[in-house]
Amino acid sequence: MPETLTATAPKQTNTIVHPHYGCAIGAVYSVVAIPGGVPIANCGPGCADKQYCILSSGNGYQGTIGAGGGAMPSVNIGENEVVFGGAKKLDGLVKSALRIMKGDLFVVVTGCSSELVGDDIGSVVRRYQRAGKPVVYADAAGFKGSNITGHLIVVREIIDQFVGEYRGRKKKGLVNLFFEVPYFNTNWRGDFIEMKRILDGAGFTVNVLFGPGSRGVEEWRDIPKAQFNLVVSPWVGLDTAEHLKEKYKQPYLHIPVIPVGEEATTAFIRQVVEFAGIDPAKSEAFIKQEAHYYYYFLEHFSEFFSEFWFGLPSAFTVASDSATNIAMTKFLADQMGIIPVKQIITDNPPEKYRNAISRLYEDLSEGVSAKAEFIEDGYMIEQEIKNTDFGASVPLILGSTWESDVATELKGLLVKVCTPNTEEVVLNRSYIGYRGALTLIEKVYTAAVGGGS
Amino acid sequence: MYLMAKKLRQIAIYGKGGIGKSTTTQNLTAGLAESGKKVMVVGCDPKADSTRLLLGGLAQRTVLDTLRDQGEDISLDLIMKDGYKNTKCVESGGPEPGVGCAGRGIITAIGLLERLGAYTKNLDYVFYDVLGDVVCGGFAMPIREGKAKEIYIVASGEMMALYAANNIARGIERYATQGEVRLGGIICNSRNVDRENDLLRAFAKELGTDLTYFIPRDNIVQRAEIRKKTVIEYKPDAQQADEYRALAKKIAENKKFVIPKPMTQERLEEILTEFGLMESSDEYAI
Repeated sequence: MPETLTATAPKQTNTIVHPHYGCAIGAVYSVVAIPGGVPIANCGPGCADKQYCILSSGNGYQGTIGAGGGAMPSVNIGENEVVFGGAKKLDGLVKSALRIMKGDLFVVVTGCSSELVGDDIGSVVRRYQRAGKPVVYADAAGFKGSNITGHLIVVREIIDQFVGEYRGRKKKGLVNLFFEVPYFNTNWRGDFIEMKRILDGAGFTVNVLFGPGSRGVEEWRDIPKAQFNLVVSPWVGLDTAEHLKEKYKQPYLHIPVIPVGEEATTAFIRQVVEFAGIDPAKSEAFIKQEAHYYYYFLEHFSEFFSEFWFGLPSAFTVASDSATNIAMTKFLADQMGIIPVKQIITDNPPEKYRNAISRLYEDLSEGVSAKAEFIEDGYMIEQEIKNTDFGASVPLILGSTWESDVATELKGLLVKVCTPNTEEVVLNRSYIGYRGALTLIEKVYTAAVGGGS
Repeated sequence: MYLMAKKLRQIAIYGKGGIGKSTTTQNLTAGLAESGKKVMVVGCDPKADSTRLLLGGLAQRTVLDTLRDQGEDISLDLIMKDGYKNTKCVESGGPEPGVGCAGRGIITAIGLLERLGAYTKNLDYVFYDVLGDVVCGGFAMPIREGKAKEIYIVASGEMMALYAANNIARGIERYATQGEVRLGGIICNSRNVDRENDLLRAFAKELGTDLTYFIPRDNIVQRAEIRKKTVIEYKPDAQQADEYRALAKKIAENKKFVIPKPMTQERLEEILTEFGLMESSDEYAI
């Protein structure tokens, strides 16, 4: 575990309780998030269902559509498939899925048992590919890592096996967005809508790839035509962008902090527009309009903010995945003037990105910095929060349902920003960009005035 | 369990591939059966040739073939056949080469034997003849979960046989420290290597065990194999038949069961050098 743990903190053991992520086979939900995408779960019975619990039902009761949840084709690997190999059963399932399921892209996502046994999934799927069927395979065994690892594997395999080679021209103003992880980031649907709205407003055409705003596989086919790739996350999607840079000679722009609020979102738009070299007239008009709406509400809010004296938080902690964590921390510290006292990153980012992630916390606002700690274990996170000094004010905790107990113990305000979230029903909610920031302000201060969290 | 009056002794035979485990196991079980003992032999090798000499050929379907074709709803007589002197013979079998998991296949097969009631009260011995080495958890199955508690390693005076034997000892040590499994000894299946007996004795001593028996090389074993028989069945009066009877007696009377002390690679090579199987570095004269 990282050196950032304090001396009083419990030591990480070889088990993790209360994780804030699923396992790699959870990538079946990245496929579900593509309109027309059909996952074929090549794993044991229950594996994909458990991922449904942590990524969908236990994460804002998001539900699912198309080939998600109980409709997902699964090999349901049992002892027979382990001993004798599961290729034959998978072959039958792919055949049936192509016949029965309505879909534009089928992705065989392989879990632990099949990978341990060494089934040659490629040889099964390649026969369908040669016959012109839109089938892709991705080895996403749980032992490879979290659902984020699985998501990245699936994205890469779709690009390599389905999108394929491209040597044509690039289209100026067309951008591929690599952003949150579908289903995993609780507000992903609302966030994708807001991000697309912002980029559309700024004059871009966006391949969002996932969610209701995506044109499905047509967008995926268009990936190589894009002028550039836009990675809006501290680390998720960087490998993909590097891969695309090599594969399609596409440059990428990395903006590690998801913009929240007018200042950050306006700066974000200007940075992307400048990188793309498109005419800023449209984006500036959009910024003006959005700022007008944003400050209309903020002015009203400022009356409450300056006059309400009781129970407003002055210090906060965030325990969440890195993308959500830095986005929330930056906004609350820089725009709301709340002091970041404990920032816990729960998604186990690869070592190579950790220094860069930590540096994002060094300059949150003028004279404000924080220290990022990388902890996956929910018990240890609780202990860390318990030992945090929130000063005289009510503690504000941005986290998950796992942090409910410690929030109750500290008589704090809990705002849920990541999985698992079993106490809210989430539809198109967003806490990012222009509109989402206002919702976040509502959420935090509704909790503060006693509206519950 | 084997210390009780009428008790089932479950014995696993390990050793490098091709060392003669199956031949040794079948000849010694023939010796035990001849003396009136009730024996079951479970072949734990996808090649399914562990009971060929007792059955007079590859006369039965393997557990896994049967499972694959007929599912789990099968009776014991489909997978267990009577061999020489009513020896009960079972072959676990395995998946097709390059497919599935043979290790898990062993676990499945033994599990099925238990469910079908193969381990009857009148048995004196169950022998597991296990493929090559403890290559994965599946091939350690016979020594896990209170199954075989005695292990014998078949080796010879050849270097790779001893490397493999030492590795197997490591596997046994792992399970011995958390359970009842113990090493019963080393069985030398002679290859007529110089100082073979001395080397094997030294090797066994280093592991903390004994050389249970030294089986001399005799081509009668091969002649019997061609006729799909053990030596005891093929030529009961042959000297080699007596050797196997003596091995059976040694195992029947063995009381020394140890947690082996596997050697480091360096120590093993020292012993091999001492007995002339490896050249020492000073022999590389420039």
